[in-house]
Amino acid sequence: MKSPVIPAIVARPAVKVVLVEDKPGVRESWVKLINSLPGFSCVQTCASGEDALRVIPSVNPDVVLMDIFLPRMSGIECTARLKLQLPKIQILILTAVEDDELVFMALEAGADGYLLKRTTPEDLKAAMLDVLGGGAPMTSEIARRVVESFRRAAKQPKLDVRLSAREEEVLILLSKGYSNKEIAHQLAIGAETVGSHLKHIYEKMHVRSRAEAVARYMTGKA
Amino acid sequence: MTPPQPKLFFSGLAWRGGSCLTVLLVLFLFFQPGKIHADEPGGTNLVDWVAQATNHLGQWIWETNAFDKQTVRLWRAFEIPAGAKVTNATMHITVDNGYTLFLDGKEIGRGSDWRTVSEYDITQLLGPGRHVLAVEGFNDRLEGGLIFGLQVQSANRAVAEIKSDGSWWVTPQTGRTWAAKIQANGSHPAKVIGPMHSHPWEVWPYGLARVPPLSPVMVHFWQRGWVQLTLLLICTGAVVFCSWLLTQLSAQVKAQKFLQVERARIARDIHDDLGAQLTQLLLLGEVAQREQPEDSPARGQFTQICAGARELAQAMDEVVWAVNSRRDTVRDFTTYVCKYAQIFLSATNLRCRLDVESEMPVTTFDLPVRRNLFLAVKEALNNAAKHSQADELYLRIFRRERRLSVIVEDNGRGFDPTQAGAGRNGLTNMTQRMDEIGGTCEVSSQPGGGCLVIFTVPLATGRRGWFRRATANDENAGRIETSEIRS
Repeated sequence: MKSPVIPAIVARPAVKVVLVEDKPGVRESWVKLINSLPGFSCVQTCASGEDALRVIPSVNPDVVLMDIFLPRMSGIECTARLKLQLPKIQILILTAVEDDELVFMALEAGADGYLLKRTTPEDLKAAMLDVLGGGAPMTSEIARRVVESFRRAAKQPKLDVRLSAREEEVLILLSKGYSNKEIAHQLAIGAETVGSHLKHIYEKMHVRSRAEAVARYMTGKA
Repeated sequence: MTPPQPKLFFSGLAWRGGSCLTVLLVLFLFFQPGKIHADEPGGTNLVDWVAQATNHLGQWIWETNAFDKQTVRLWRAFEIPAGAKVTNATMHITVDNGYTLFLDGKEIGRGSDWRTVSEYDITQLLGPGRHVLAVEGFNDRLEGGLIFGLQVQSANRAVAEIKSDGSWWVTPQTGRTWAAKIQANGSHPAKVIGPMHSHPWEVWPYGLARVPPLSPVMVHFWQRGWVQLTLLLICTGAVVFCSWLLTQLSAQVKAQKFLQVERARIARDIHDDLGAQLTQLLLLGEVAQREQPEDSPARGQFTQICAGARELAQAMDEVVWAVNSRRDTVRDFTTYVCKYAQIFLSATNLRCRLDVESEMPVTTFDLPVRRNLFLAVKEALNNAAKHSQADELYLRIFRRERRLSVIVEDNGRGFDPTQAGAGRNGLTNMTQRMDEIGGTCEVSSQPGGGCLVIFTVPLATGRRGWFRRATANDENAGRIETSEIRS
């Protein structure tokens, strides 16, 4: 992953990061790690999803790192609620195990990407810069699921959010294991355009899931 | 002669309409089955019959002494010569006051109206050989008597007659089955009282009742006692065996379920405890590494620790995947293999292309099958990475007629399968693994033409499918899991 906007970031004030993680030891380590990255500062930590919902709107961070397993309210639910309040906020899900089911649910709920907890600090930095720069990381497995979910949703007239032909093309190539660069080459478009297509796909997922989220999370029975 | 009192019979039932009662009474009187009486329309041939009866019937015979409420058992044996074909055998009998008639130990008729003679057609019961006629007579009061006549006509028009006379015997045997065990020992001759119409039966019998022709009761083999007993035993055995099987089955189902739950628990434990600890260690290592000055030797060691921990976490993921019973589905397998291939090949020059059937089902895919198939695919990927010199590799996964096919195809230099000697352990390994799970492994390649490996395994069809559908609904599976882990 490349980080094309580094000069701009350096010029700007540090990226404000909020960490949501329930285990105190892990939380401390993460904070140290984030703060050790140049241009990033962990301005707040939350020990639970409820905490995060209360604190984050007032802090208004650039990126939220969200643990997926939290006591009581899960990271996925918290993501959905946060995205309802602050649609512009960038949320990265942290997961210990790569579980596509969970990752896909998180992405549907409004997360902008996900990271394995065992990721290297360099990758963490790259991922945060990527979402801030308007990119959207997506693996081939997730891409396949996204295509499936949109096709399934197309059968339900209520949620009428469709992928454009080009977006579906991108997803299908992605699901076949092509990299963003290869896709750009194949479709004769720029690599950034591929990224923005992915971003749009996420947004469409969020739009669709928002209606569901209102029903699922706001009635308070989730 | 008095018919049963229908009024008495019906009085118990609260009949309201008198007319209804009358109709039933009339019906009852008119339809006395099979009886012809001298004073009824059917009995006009009374005179003829009485004239013949004297010829047909023998004499009144009885036990030496007659007394009230007396039961007398009389019998007589006769022989139908071998080869004789009986064309007609008619028997007439009555006993004052009633009788039960046996032929060869089997009851063939009863009579209680002694003033009427019963006519039996026993043509079909008389085959060649010895036969025993036995009569259990009952005398209510005063004199008792049996009068009997049997005419046997054979195919050569010879007529044999057996009548009640002094040749009959009285046996002292008692018991329900006496007629079947008659013995000459202990029997004494019956006493002849007198011919028909002698005192005290001057005017009787005056009627005739025909019994429909008797035919031998066919005893099919399945009606025999031992057959029925055997059948009963077999049925009981089958029931016992089935219930035993059911018990075994339910025990097995329970064990299987327990195993699944345990596997899920172990997976969760590894994931929750080991995984969390490992992540924490890894983070600590990263932080510690960053706190060291750039050029210190400790920094390099921390880097190594972190790399080791990452590899450990990766290995742990694989174990968790294999152990977790929630991953026993075709869909999970597909996901996992694709991810593995991509990660594995990203470190090589091979570009990994995926061609995977969309909407893979949540069909059961048991641990041994998915594990062996995964290891075989891993071997194939390894071979391709090591030997093929290809730059592109296709991993295709799809279902075809209840079988799952995984195809690994590269565009490398290929090899000559006939030349592939014992050195290529990988190929034997793959074949062995597939044999273990009832699958097949086909390798086709030619020098310069790439290599194609096709793994095919049977998919479980419906077994436990319905059972799992409730729990592994593909929409909700993940959600259930989250809530479980959370709680």
